[in-house]
Amino acid sequence: MKNYPLWKIFLVFILVSLGVIFAIPSILYQEDTGNWYLDNRLNLGLDLQGGSYLLLEVQTDVLIQEEFENFSDTIRIIARENRIKINNIDQIDEELKIRFDPAENLEDIKNSFLQNYRSVKFNISNNVATISIDQLYKKSIQDSAIKQSLEIVRKRIDESGTKEPLIQRSGSERILLQLPGVKNPERIKDLLGKTAKLNFHMVDDDDSKSLSLNIAPFGKMIVSDINNEELKYLLEKKSRVGGENLIDANASFDPTEGHAVSFRFDTTGAQKFGKATSENIGKRFAVVLDGVVITAPVINSAITGGSGIITGNFTSQEAADLAVLLRAGALPAPLEIVEERSVGPGLGADSIAAGKIASIIGMILVCIFMILIYGSFGVIANISLIANLFIIVSLLGTIGATLTLPGIAGIVLTIGMAVDANVLIFERIKEESFKNKKIYETIKKGFDRALSTILDANITTLIASLLLFVFGSGPIKGFSITLSLGVIASMFTALMLTNLLVHFYVSFTAKKEINL
Amino acid sequence: MFGLNKIIPVNSDYKFLNFRKNFYILSGIAIFLSLILLFFKGLNLGIDFKGGTLIEVSTNNTNISELRDILSPNFNEVSLQEFGDDQTIIIRLQNENNQESIETVNKVKQLINDKVSEFRRSEFVGPTVSSELLWKGFQAVSFALIAILIYIWLRFEWQFGFGAVVALTHDVLFTLGVLSILGIEFSLSTIAAVLTIAGYSINDTVVIFDRVRENLRKYKNIDLIEVFNMSINNTLSRTVMTSITTLLALISLYLFGGEVIKPFALTMIIGVLVGTYSSIFIAVPTLLVFKFRPQDEDDNEN
Repeated sequence: MKNYPLWKIFLVFILVSLGVIFAIPSILYQEDTGNWYLDNRLNLGLDLQGGSYLLLEVQTDVLIQEEFENFSDTIRIIARENRIKINNIDQIDEELKIRFDPAENLEDIKNSFLQNYRSVKFNISNNVATISIDQLYKKSIQDSAIKQSLEIVRKRIDESGTKEPLIQRSGSERILLQLPGVKNPERIKDLLGKTAKLNFHMVDDDDSKSLSLNIAPFGKMIVSDINNEELKYLLEKKSRVGGENLIDANASFDPTEGHAVSFRFDTTGAQKFGKATSENIGKRFAVVLDGVVITAPVINSAITGGSGIITGNFTSQEAADLAVLLRAGALPAPLEIVEERSVGPGLGADSIAAGKIASIIGMILVCIFMILIYGSFGVIANISLIANLFIIVSLLGTIGATLTLPGIAGIVLTIGMAVDANVLIFERIKEESFKNKKIYETIKKGFDRALSTILDANITTLIASLLLFVFGSGPIKGFSITLSLGVIASMFTALMLTNLLVHFYVSFTAKKEINL
Repeated sequence: MFGLNKIIPVNSDYKFLNFRKNFYILSGIAIFLSLILLFFKGLNLGIDFKGGTLIEVSTNNTNISELRDILSPNFNEVSLQEFGDDQTIIIRLQNENNQESIETVNKVKQLINDKVSEFRRSEFVGPTVSSELLWKGFQAVSFALIAILIYIWLRFEWQFGFGAVVALTHDVLFTLGVLSILGIEFSLSTIAAVLTIAGYSINDTVVIFDRVRENLRKYKNIDLIEVFNMSINNTLSRTVMTSITTLLALISLYLFGGEVIKPFALTMIIGVLVGTYSSIFIAVPTLLVFKFRPQDEDDNEN
């Protein structure tokens, strides 16, 4: 060991020690302790600890459609103000065509319309107006919808009592959720599946003709009852007050009506509600949630206090969930679940146990094989392999990576492949030992000759694994991380640690020649 | 130490290339059959790429046919399969639209709730997501092949890149063919396995090519076939050693790593075997197509 550079010994010693020190928390501890060192461990992925992964898509098509409905309502109002008759309104894909009776002041319609909607394209020719929107406009609708949805989803998940959820935007119209430890994903999906748009509309009980024909006149709409689809209500289209004015909602119990949700309006909401109720005593108002009437009570007296209760044959769970939804607020557009992966705690625990057994047995087999083939040098390779594993685990823990089931597979695979660099070196040393007499020269040449091969071989594996990281999703990313770290760590342990150990072994045993 | 290192003779001198025609024919048939299988039988696409719903349950002493009798009348396309043992059953339901999936899972859970001790996992992949995943997987594999080709081209000469890619394509197609014939589920983790096989196959090939390049410089007067044979023999013990250690780890993963990881481990085992074969019998002989002479090497170095 006379000529072995001291700095190299130190470097190897420090790096390996760091590997061991920072691997300990991941190996020994499962729970957070609050200690920065002990909490420096790798996180278990949802497939190992149990939980739900959900990918939600914001249905922005619905919003665009709503926007077009707003356009045609606005045009009708403007046309009425300007005393121009509309023959018909047609929507073809994303274009609205309005055919007017011949009139001279069609430009006025255009001008007043554009005061309401600035960035809309509006063309008039031959008494036909064409309204269309561009991609930028569409994108801004989508963008604001997803931002609002993200916030509402976050509120709903928080209200549901899920610990440490991960909620983030994914692409242009999706939201990604990771909910560790969720035991009943169905309830979460129910909570997210509802838009929860709440509105109070006045009921028109005088116009029974429109209701029986099932055609709503302008400014009115027909909505069915939540419990009985046959039961229809004719409602004013414009709501008097909506869920956006709610400041609180709670599940409560009404002695006569059963489970209910009590709510409170903010000042504006209370004023609107007070005005609507005081003007319409004796008439009915309808509570409409997501396009169906929950209840439609008669107004007995003006409600000016700004609070009330909603009843409607709820179970206690339904009332509690509705209260959560109302507190969190309405989604701008419906959400659709496009991907779900839920793992129960039982399967996760089984996977961890199986992964541990597979790693340990794989490790033992490889170690025995290396000793059988290379003897003392095999022991050296095995020490490198174990150091390699400690380094992988410590790196995963320090960068806060998530260990998934494919990640465990990556570690087991690394056990098999990590000895490759050692094998390359030993084989080269063996070859050199036939040519050279001097033992240290043999070792040096063996390492030098193996170096470029080791680099070439490992860089190709790194390329494949890097692309897996870029294109893979969820658990597959976990596989590529462990495989990459494994490859990098194996290069270090082979070129530095094995090198040091071989020199140490040769000088310690005072060997004169190598017989591999 | 135990003398086992003599299993692989130190100065082996197998004439691998002399039998190359036989191996061309063998591989040619295998690849042809793989393509036929892929074309006509196809891969057993899992829900990742086909879309649909999957539920894994542990039952209370209920056998698979009882569950099938309960579920079959209620769903159009439902298939049940034992998973590891007869108390663990996987239920697969064909693709509905996104909204229906929630109701489907709920309905399945209601119907078999009293027969089941644990709902171990449930997965749903909608039609848009499954086609995206398929496209991404395809991109990953293609870009990986291109990137590896470029790397080999930069580090070696382009002829070596050609040889490596022939071997690589051979390995990937053959593995896919075996997946098809065995009906192993093709999922995201299988894509990961295929890419890792690509990495492994190249790794193996590169080690031998490294030696080919070295020997081409060293022995300028020896016949090409001899140089190639020599290079394979020089690296033979390493090739065999690394394959064995990798296989040991993979077999352990296959036997003890749990049901979910089995298809991945099996795919990798097939890939490592064929990758080792192709590095020796396909990649190196392919280099004969190009009339390498050591003089070319000198030109390149200047």
